[in-house]
Amino acid sequence: MATPTVPAPPRAGTRFRNGLLTTALLLPAGLWYLVLLVAPLVIIVVFSFGTRAKNGGYAPDFVLDNYIRAFQRADPFVTSLQMAVFGTIGCLLVGLPLAYFLATRAGRHKGVLILLLVIPFWTSFLIRTYAWLLILGPDSGVAGVLQSLTGAEKIQILGTPVAVMIGLIYGYLPLMVFPLYVTLERMDRSLLEASKDLGAGRWGTFRQVTLPIALPGLVTGSILVFIPMMGEYVIPQILGYGRTYLMGNALMTDFLEARNWPSGSARAVFLIVIMVVTIAGYVWFLNRGRRTREVSVL
Amino acid sequence: MTAPAVARAAGRDVRRPAARRRIDRWGALVEVYFRAHAALTYAFLFLPILVVVVLAFNATTRATTNWEGFSLRWFGIALGDEVVQSALSNSFWIAVPNAFLATAFGTMAALGLQRVGKRIRLGFDVLTYMSIIVPEIVIALATLILFATTFDAIESWTGIKLKFGRETIIAAHVLFNTSLVLLLVRARLSGMDRTLVDASADLFATPWRTFRQITFPQLLPAIVAGFLLSFTFSFDDFVITTFVSGPGSSTLPLFIFGQVKRGVTPETNAVATMMLAFTLAMLLVGQLVLAWQARRSGRRSAASMAQIVTEG
Amino acid sequence: MADDIETTLRRMAETKVNRRGFLAAAGLTGAAAALAACSPGSSASPAVSAAAPTTAGSAAATPEASAAASASAAAAGPIESELFMYNWSEYISLDNIEAFKAKYGVTTFKYDIYDSNDVLLAKLQAGATGYDIAAPTAEYVPGMVEQGFLQKLDKSRLPNLVNIDPKFKGLWWDPNDEYQIPKDFGTTGVLYRETMIPTVPKTWKDFYDLIKGPASGKTVFVDSMGDVFVFPLKMLGFSANSVVKEELDQARTILLDVAPHLLALDSNKYGEKMAKGEASLALGWTGVLTQDMADTPDKGYVVPTEGSIFWLDTWVLLAEAPHPNAAYAFLDFIQDPAIQAEETNYNNYGTPNDKAKPLVDPKVLADPAVFPPDAVFALLEGSQDTSASTQRTDIWEEFKQHRGG
Repeated sequence: MATPTVPAPPRAGTRFRNGLLTTALLLPAGLWYLVLLVAPLVIIVVFSFGTRAKNGGYAPDFVLDNYIRAFQRADPFVTSLQMAVFGTIGCLLVGLPLAYFLATRAGRHKGVLILLLVIPFWTSFLIRTYAWLLILGPDSGVAGVLQSLTGAEKIQILGTPVAVMIGLIYGYLPLMVFPLYVTLERMDRSLLEASKDLGAGRWGTFRQVTLPIALPGLVTGSILVFIPMMGEYVIPQILGYGRTYLMGNALMTDFLEARNWPSGSARAVFLIVIMVVTIAGYVWFLNRGRRTREVSVL
Repeated sequence: MTAPAVARAAGRDVRRPAARRRIDRWGALVEVYFRAHAALTYAFLFLPILVVVVLAFNATTRATTNWEGFSLRWFGIALGDEVVQSALSNSFWIAVPNAFLATAFGTMAALGLQRVGKRIRLGFDVLTYMSIIVPEIVIALATLILFATTFDAIESWTGIKLKFGRETIIAAHVLFNTSLVLLLVRARLSGMDRTLVDASADLFATPWRTFRQITFPQLLPAIVAGFLLSFTFSFDDFVITTFVSGPGSSTLPLFIFGQVKRGVTPETNAVATMMLAFTLAMLLVGQLVLAWQARRSGRRSAASMAQIVTEG
Repeated sequence: MADDIETTLRRMAETKVNRRGFLAAAGLTGAAAALAACSPGSSASPAVSAAAPTTAGSAAATPEASAAASASAAAAGPIESELFMYNWSEYISLDNIEAFKAKYGVTTFKYDIYDSNDVLLAKLQAGATGYDIAAPTAEYVPGMVEQGFLQKLDKSRLPNLVNIDPKFKGLWWDPNDEYQIPKDFGTTGVLYRETMIPTVPKTWKDFYDLIKGPASGKTVFVDSMGDVFVFPLKMLGFSANSVVKEELDQARTILLDVAPHLLALDSNKYGEKMAKGEASLALGWTGVLTQDMADTPDKGYVVPTEGSIFWLDTWVLLAEAPHPNAAYAFLDFIQDPAIQAEETNYNNYGTPNDKAKPLVDPKVLADPAVFPPDAVFALLEGSQDTSASTQRTDIWEEFKQHRGG
């Protein structure tokens, strides 16, 4: 109502009101981060220097042993890293074409198709994962088809990292598809036309038009998929028959089976630091040379 | 890329000349590929669900996946099981408020972050990523300790005794889900066209009106996606819920994970099947209502759920 | 112990009850209790007041116990209308819950679920549960007592405790039976499919040979640190609960030796794996024999002769229980022979309640896997809490990651 006819340089009052709005917008999330993220993280860091209390849990102390043990027991981290990298690539290979299809070709069924993407996930994770035991099991159709294709006598999928990988891709696919979809959906099709008119081939158009537009979604999607895969523990237990031991399993062992909170905390801090550095590096690498594309739309 | 291109920003239908389509030899193949890929992916997503549904009708009396004949007995058991009903209702009444809060907080923060300097944005980014990075078991335990300590302090100061329950679970879930929504909305915002916003301002629209009529519709797909994912992740969360739940707030995942020790019975499958049937029925009804409304209002093309969901 | 009129009436009403017809009978029991409550001097809580005289003599065994008893007896008031239970899933018959609610006028019975003792303990250590009753495994009890999480039980309010088999009394985790009431027990042993292996294992050494030979790639261990260590330690002749470095070193060699031959580490679906023939041998518990493997004719279970462990789940009353009177009423109610027999028929685990046994389904009672004969029971050690040993944790992690080579 009070918008001036001619856009003038913001006056002090406007600036104040703008500042107030910004604060109000950031306040709830900021508060949540402060209370339910920063405070718990402080607790974990404090724990990581403590010792295990006699009956399990935490006893105040200041020792570095937990970190030394965390470094000595880094094998699960390496295994998790491998699984998460391949899992993320897998999600991308499955998710990108699907997101592209949803964004550009789903037409008026788009909404339904998107809902259908999450509806399977409203069925308990545990029983869905159990269902895979039947699908991939020794008497199942999948194993049968593979056996007749390869001529092998018996193909064991369950209990191998392959089964874990299938479970990971299945479990985290929507976290890849959704960010890709929301960026691709915005894509202006006339850009593709223009690209074509300028003589670019299919691959060229994809590389120079589609990919840059999808990039923010791709970054978000791979981060959203990669991180929880590192901490996953149920899928390796069920589909990996407990023979693939990931970081999530290691933390469960420390925190629950051994009830050694300091040891588990040190491992967690170790994981968090490495991940933050990795992700910051990843985001920086992908954004290098690009102008920041974010503009205020308020 | 020969499908009818919809230049939505321009608000008109652009159809490519048929001649062009014939020259594009690979076009048809690419179309087939996209369709097949989508169909296969949906099959991949629903295959386990199919198994779950089939096993819900298993006549077995035990926790087994061996097929022992067709029966509806597990549906009866599920419908008469108070523990399951309370768990289901808890799950729902935790997931829904969580999804609303997380969607609001995440969207607001994403918009707010565009109005601040690089340094604050970086700080916020680190927190956002951290909230996703911290493994569930770690945040779950630390949050439990935080709540318990705070509640004790509050009780000794004011005498008010706070309890663990749905509220604590919602509070803990909102953290991860806010970050999820924030990242989705920011992915959508990044590189968004500002022209319309400027045009709107030039046309003397108030900032609120500009937001409602221009920005919000453009962001809607990300907001809806964020809401759906928030609901999903809260509804199916196990670790955090286990730790910050209190008397009477056990959710469905807690019930199911708890069953594991003695074997998960088809009762769980029956519950899942009923929920699936309910969801799909609602979806169908929604579609029919929209189609009917469209016909009544005399519009030529039926508005579908698709437009509601993706375009508002 | 002489039954008074109320108890006799209750027995008569309840012995004939099967699981289905329970609700009707519960009404009858309630009527009986009300009848007894009409006697002079009864308070608002009929069951407690009627029951108290019968045990007054036996509970006052030590001066200390009687002091505690009178202290909490003074605190006893009317039964609250709510009870909050924290327990394993499906570890209490829902019919019994209904019967309890009807009998004591408890309107809100909240039954929440945990899936490991460690979650229960973590919540207690963080300082919050809000529950009245929980069901930890016995080896967790001493630590809980030490940390002040449990209430000392007033046995004068639990007359039905006389039904507990003496062999579950005075065990190391609660020498004076002050803090826990035995709930269900079971053993850790070897499960096998007779037709899939050449010889039936009798000892842990046989088990070891089978894993490395005919059952290679077809053996499952439960994914539970304490239970897996039983095998190498007992085979070597040590205590299953050993935390001695040299003994654990030797156990480690055996575990790494068998690790590449394992199909799975799995506590949840190992019964199904055996039923389907994917596995022929397992280190595990008896529960699956009546569940997944119910229709497997060649199934077998043995407690190896070198010995093994038994686990015992217990009822405990939490220190900050908001509804102590309802909790006492429940703890006594559940040890009533007829009620306890219904529990056993429901969950198929061994009950330490001797008086309940005659009322248990004969098929369950005759199963040596559920109720091991005394000769077998003599081979068993009570499991202890060994989680403080970082050496165990390190070996366990190494074992889980070891795939051979």
